[in-house]
Amino acid sequence: MKPFYACNSLEHAVSRRHFLTGSAAGLGALGFADMIRASGEIERRNKRVLVIYLAGGVSQLETWDPKPGTNTGGPFQAIPTNVTGVHICELLPHTARHMHRLALIRGINTNMDDHGGGAYIMMTGRRRNPGESYPHLGAVMSKLLGDENNPLPGYIHITPGSGNGGFNRGDAAFLGPRYASVTLPDGNPPANLSRPNTLSELADAQRNDLRERLNNRFMQTRRSADTEAYTTSYDQAAQVMQRRSIFDLSREPAHLRERYGNHDFGRHCLLARRLLENGVTFAKVSHSNYDTHHENFDFHIEQLGEFDRTFATLLDDLAQRGMLESTLVVVMSEFGRTPTINRNLGRDHWSRAWSIAAAGSGIQGGAVVGRTNDNGTAVVDRQVNGGHLFHTYFRALGLNPTRNHYAGGRPIPMADPQASAISEILS
Amino acid sequence: MQLSPLGCTAICGLILGTPLINAQSLSARIDQFVAAKPDYAKKAAARSSDSEFVRRINLDLCGVTPSTVDARAFLADPAPDKRLKLIDKLLASEGFVRHLVDTFDVLWMDRRADKHVKRGEWLEFLRASFAANKPYDQLVSEILSADGSDPKMRAAARFYLDREGEPHLITKDVSRLFLGMNLQCAQCHDHPLVDAYKQDHYYGIYAFLSRSFLFADKGAKQSIFAEKGEGEVSYQSVFVAKVTKNTGPRIPDRPLLDEPKLEKGQEYVVPYKPGEKPQPKYSRRAQLAKEITSPANPRFARAAANRFWFLMMGRGIVHSVDLDHQDNPPSHPELLDELAKEFAAKKFDIRAYVREIVSSETYQRSSEPPKGQEVEPRDFAVYPLRPLTPEQLALSMMQATGMLEVERKKLGAKATEKAVYDQAQKAVQTFVGLFGSPAGEPFDPTAYEATLAQSLYLRNGDLIRDWLAPRPGSLTQRLADLKEPAALAEELYLSVLTRPPSVEEQKDVADFLAKRTDRPAAIQDLVWALLTSAEFRFNH
Repeated sequence: MKPFYACNSLEHAVSRRHFLTGSAAGLGALGFADMIRASGEIERRNKRVLVIYLAGGVSQLETWDPKPGTNTGGPFQAIPTNVTGVHICELLPHTARHMHRLALIRGINTNMDDHGGGAYIMMTGRRRNPGESYPHLGAVMSKLLGDENNPLPGYIHITPGSGNGGFNRGDAAFLGPRYASVTLPDGNPPANLSRPNTLSELADAQRNDLRERLNNRFMQTRRSADTEAYTTSYDQAAQVMQRRSIFDLSREPAHLRERYGNHDFGRHCLLARRLLENGVTFAKVSHSNYDTHHENFDFHIEQLGEFDRTFATLLDDLAQRGMLESTLVVVMSEFGRTPTINRNLGRDHWSRAWSIAAAGSGIQGGAVVGRTNDNGTAVVDRQVNGGHLFHTYFRALGLNPTRNHYAGGRPIPMADPQASAISEILS
Repeated sequence: MQLSPLGCTAICGLILGTPLINAQSLSARIDQFVAAKPDYAKKAAARSSDSEFVRRINLDLCGVTPSTVDARAFLADPAPDKRLKLIDKLLASEGFVRHLVDTFDVLWMDRRADKHVKRGEWLEFLRASFAANKPYDQLVSEILSADGSDPKMRAAARFYLDREGEPHLITKDVSRLFLGMNLQCAQCHDHPLVDAYKQDHYYGIYAFLSRSFLFADKGAKQSIFAEKGEGEVSYQSVFVAKVTKNTGPRIPDRPLLDEPKLEKGQEYVVPYKPGEKPQPKYSRRAQLAKEITSPANPRFARAAANRFWFLMMGRGIVHSVDLDHQDNPPSHPELLDELAKEFAAKKFDIRAYVREIVSSETYQRSSEPPKGQEVEPRDFAVYPLRPLTPEQLALSMMQATGMLEVERKKLGAKATEKAVYDQAQKAVQTFVGLFGSPAGEPFDPTAYEATLAQSLYLRNGDLIRDWLAPRPGSLTQRLADLKEPAALAEELYLSVLTRPPSVEEQKDVADFLAKRTDRPAAIQDLVWALLTSAEFRFNH
């Protein structure tokens, strides 16, 4: 007899035969799709995720969990929101008017004060271990929620600055490169999206026609799933090239662009909305930089000034388009900032008592869960870690986090089996 | 002494009363074992054409398609033994060494970033080893023995050091790579799906490594893989509460290692203190290389034989190659036994062993299945389609477009093989970024996926565009110089697809050119269409 295994035993039964020969990657995926259908989750497919990533670590005290008048509180006041009894920092006046849409999780302890390690926890719901790699939330959602007929990449990351764009294979780990993220630095369209100037549309069509003739001849006798995947990937590229206007913000009305804000973050959020509207499953927008070891308060005035109005506009825009209820929106960082104010008026890395906010699909607006002590140095109620957050995102999207991925046939729980969802903020 | 092979076989067979099969070359025995399956003759593809063969053998042995000149010479050669001659020529070439280096670098290091050992030094260690045809067991033994303190063997220590000396990670990779056992699941409990993989197996190997740790040698300004002289391994299953087991070092299915008993306090020559490199009297890790590669551990030769078979045939006799256990039996058990025995008996001579595989009719079958036959890959009746690795794809595109030749010309008198391929490295790395597996993830050549980033790159990327620009020696330039469409088609197909065009394809080319008024651009588009075809993308 096999010992009782915590993960879904039905899936073990289904996959065992394939596992034994190591071919579960392909066949197991089929079984999995069947199971989705059987459980009715296919109807929940029209869901998507937007992560606003405040890079460097936003201060929870200057945002979701202010402690005015204490030794750690800093100079800012707390203001009431449109939900009775819930107060947030005065640097977020526009956001405060959307509190009925937002849930706050104030008891996060990820216990990881390193940027990379913290980001890894927030993206994968796991702590980093040598020899293990887990797929990012974006890759997972792109696989579970994505529409395979949509030619666009499922997981897009919009970053500030003109850094390196491209394709981040590692993000998808064992799920495979199809689900890895594509980075759009400064919101620029993906690399190689346009036909070279020296190639006319007609010539491009002619050369592709010849390529297809060759393929058809070759595949008459030698066809496989791999050759099929290869030849259709050119059609996918052609479709995305044709639809490249979705990366073009000039198609949006001027007044809306104005409301989002005439700065990078505003433009990037508007682009994210366009992408999600056009079938991208997971968009992540990074806003930089909150790593305020010096002059924490001045920096937060400046950064949150951009964030606040844009974020409020984004929530409004999503709601007006009827997208908010099917889009999970999460505002997160790799960690928070120390309650203690250092001698440079800065706050340092701090992961033991911090907060995030969520809205949209499956989220109970106005809910607040978790509590820190009076000056914010410890969680005193409903402490959660990255695993709990991962479970919560799944549930909010109508997905079951206790199922398994299969890596070469090996079952891997989709979310940390030792954690569970934070049901208090789920609608 | 000049008995004909047939005569010898017959005589030996008669005199010794052993099956005839034993006295023949290994390649002939491969064919007999494979052909012994029911209905094989019906399912077996025809012998590959010379074009198929010359492309395939160059890709499998040297990692790149043949040059136009070499392909044309081979196809024109009337000699009946030209395939064997080509095999021997390629096995003796630098290309074979380069391809082994590329292959084993990815296989053993999973494209990890270099941190403690420079990648260049590691590659040079592999190059020198393969160039000298170092026995495979010796090579593995050197890698598993190096701790990084001996400057001469520092590069070999990359296997340990760039895994940060992490004992669990090394346990998993040693068992996966050298024993054909993927024990990852067995770290926390007996394998839930493979009855034969036990947690005891995992911790038996782990016990060779658990005392080892990465030590920053401040004096020498380098990290080395140091070891303590104490520390026992105990473990619990997450399924079975409160049962703690202990184990010493042990290779799966072998007895527990017999170890010297040292009194407490007597374990060290140089004691373990923070900041100092300890020196134990008895090193557990030093036993690992010996025990893994020992003839008493049959799994090593078996995994090695299966691994090289997989590299040439695109599928293991045990498949996947790291799931060798009773519920996943080999497709041809006697063949695998024979291969493992032969590889070990020939002192793990890589060249000699690979030569036998690729000389077989089994290897040399066409990739076109006989009409109306459903053929299982495990039958080895048809050569499988395999996507080119990122390295093969980049180099073959440069070969086809004439860019390797262009680089050779540019280098002039300095154009050694190595210099030419060094020039190609930048392009290779671009392809690795786009087509390769992520750093730290084992590469599974049988799991193919096409991505949008790849197809946009192949359609519109400037590097490929650049390779199509005519320049002295490049394919588009050579084609521009050919006025007759038929001659142009011949040069084009031979250079890119390593075969002459069919009559229909000659007509395609002529029509294409007739349609277009911009001949130089039309030629580039022709080359592009062939380069991006499935026939080019896959080894067949």
